[in-house]
Amino acid sequence: MPRFSWLVDGSIVGLYLLGTMMAGLWLRKRVRRVEDFLVAGREMNLYLGIASLAATEFGIITCMYTAQAGYTQGFIGAFPGIAQAVAMLVIGLTGFCVKPLRESGAMTLPELFEKRFGRPVRWLAGVVIVMGGLLNMGVFLKIGGDFLCLVCGMDLEYLVYVMTTLLVLVAVYTMLGGMLSVLVTDFLQFAVMSAGLLVVTVLILSRIGWERLVDTVATHHGSAGFTLPLQTGTGWTYVIMQVLGTTAATLTWQTVVSRVLSAKDATTGQRVLTRTSFFFVCRWLIPGLWGIAALAVLGWKPLDSLDSAQRDALPAAIQEKIAASPVGQPLAGLTPEEAGGVPTAVQTRLGDASLHAMPRFLGSFLPIGLMGLLVAAMLAADMSTDASYMLSWGSVIYNDILAPFRRGSWSHQRAIRWNRVIIGLISIYLLVFGLFYQIEGDVWSYLLLTGSIYLSSMSVLLVACCYWRKANSWGALAAIFLGAAVPVAHLTMEKIPDLAPLAARFGKDGAGIAAFAAAALGMIVGSLLKPSSPDTSPPANASSHA
Amino acid sequence: MHEFWHLLVWSSVAWYSSVTLYVTIRGALDIREMVKRLDATQEEEDDPTGGTTQR
Repeated sequence: MPRFSWLVDGSIVGLYLLGTMMAGLWLRKRVRRVEDFLVAGREMNLYLGIASLAATEFGIITCMYTAQAGYTQGFIGAFPGIAQAVAMLVIGLTGFCVKPLRESGAMTLPELFEKRFGRPVRWLAGVVIVMGGLLNMGVFLKIGGDFLCLVCGMDLEYLVYVMTTLLVLVAVYTMLGGMLSVLVTDFLQFAVMSAGLLVVTVLILSRIGWERLVDTVATHHGSAGFTLPLQTGTGWTYVIMQVLGTTAATLTWQTVVSRVLSAKDATTGQRVLTRTSFFFVCRWLIPGLWGIAALAVLGWKPLDSLDSAQRDALPAAIQEKIAASPVGQPLAGLTPEEAGGVPTAVQTRLGDASLHAMPRFLGSFLPIGLMGLLVAAMLAADMSTDASYMLSWGSVIYNDILAPFRRGSWSHQRAIRWNRVIIGLISIYLLVFGLFYQIEGDVWSYLLLTGSIYLSSMSVLLVACCYWRKANSWGALAAIFLGAAVPVAHLTMEKIPDLAPLAARFGKDGAGIAAFAAAALGMIVGSLLKPSSPDTSPPANASSHA
Repeated sequence: MHEFWHLLVWSSVAWYSSVTLYVTIRGALDIREMVKRLDATQEEEDDPTGGTTQR
């Protein structure tokens, strides 16, 4: 039974929420120009940048899918974090792409692309970034709500109220204070989140013990829980997609880009990346350890996630196969006919069993007082992520998608008002999408695939924009279309029963790699097909013709 | 490989603890400095007609 005490733990959470709201509202009167709202007047310094980037890139969603990776794959589930840390370190040290990006003076990636590829590419890039980003963050709120309900022992029927409350709090300070409020609340949230993560991890290591965690991984996953599965084709597909995806995310993920662009200069932006890089190992490994601890304590019992009526409705033979299934794949032992006979609601519950294991474990493992710290830490993590994501994608909608429709110059007040409206609309979308969309498969693969709608094309555009003189608008348009077409087609196929088996055979990782390959091919072929034009200077010099 | 993961887990805990402490202190100073600079910039740019954005 969860040990959340509404008096003790609830007071800790209430105190945190009060502090956050006060911090968030504190700077709202200093927002006078649209640059203050979107990039904090470009006044962000190094340590605030580190705190903000770390807080933004760790939400409840992160904690849930990284714990799920630890639960279903063992220690090797933290591989994407290692890949991202290496990518971030190399990019931060060399300034690859991020230096010319910051020096261009742009507020968003599409704004940079306009300087090289023209206005239509800017607009289209904005649309693709927003589409990928919103599909990606659409599941954040629901999974955050799931976590809070499970940890506090609330019935999942209260999910909608938890989601709405969270969203309203975040939307209020983000709409009023923009990036200035986001930076300050991120800072507070970084401190609370980090304290919670560290205390819970040390408690797990001391109470459960390292040996038991290692034995659990060895028992359930064998050597595959410790090393990369490079002896199979799917293993290589996974590794290649992780390396491509995490490198592209460092270069083009709007929340990372907005920190680089908010930095007071290019050197500070690079340092933020270099010094935050190892955080990405912690970001995967620490919750991954929580997932392994959940496996050690709770084991893999997918049938326990069903209520008695759902369980009794399943034939005994199917129940046996589900009980004996590999961790995280409850339907793997069933024939297609048997799987087809399992009701959708039951499949959903079984599919969520590995995702919900960690919060169920923590709910019964942590003592009163620490539960409050954990919930405050996770709220901090989630609020900072939601706020930053709403602002980041809102800034692209305002700056790039609405740009052609803005006739003449807008006053700062009008521009800020529009940004606030956009953030409000994104909040409504988050609530509706989060309530109705059901993810197929594991959460991380979904996030990587929806992210690759734009990660593939935008990373190709950015690299070509900075370093390939022959890159031009034809290549950019082809890269955007092809890079988005593959993941969108895959997501659509997953939802069409007749095509779902084909999508499953190809896999999310395969679709992601295909998206990168298609975008690169589009850029090369499109650029070479277009007759050469005189304006092909790389944007390292872009500030001169901005 | 067990030793590798053991080392990585404890390195993460040690690194994260020290960075949390350091960044919390330095980040607070950064916020103070950022607010001062914003105030100074806004005072300089203040004019009765107000500014306009660029397209």
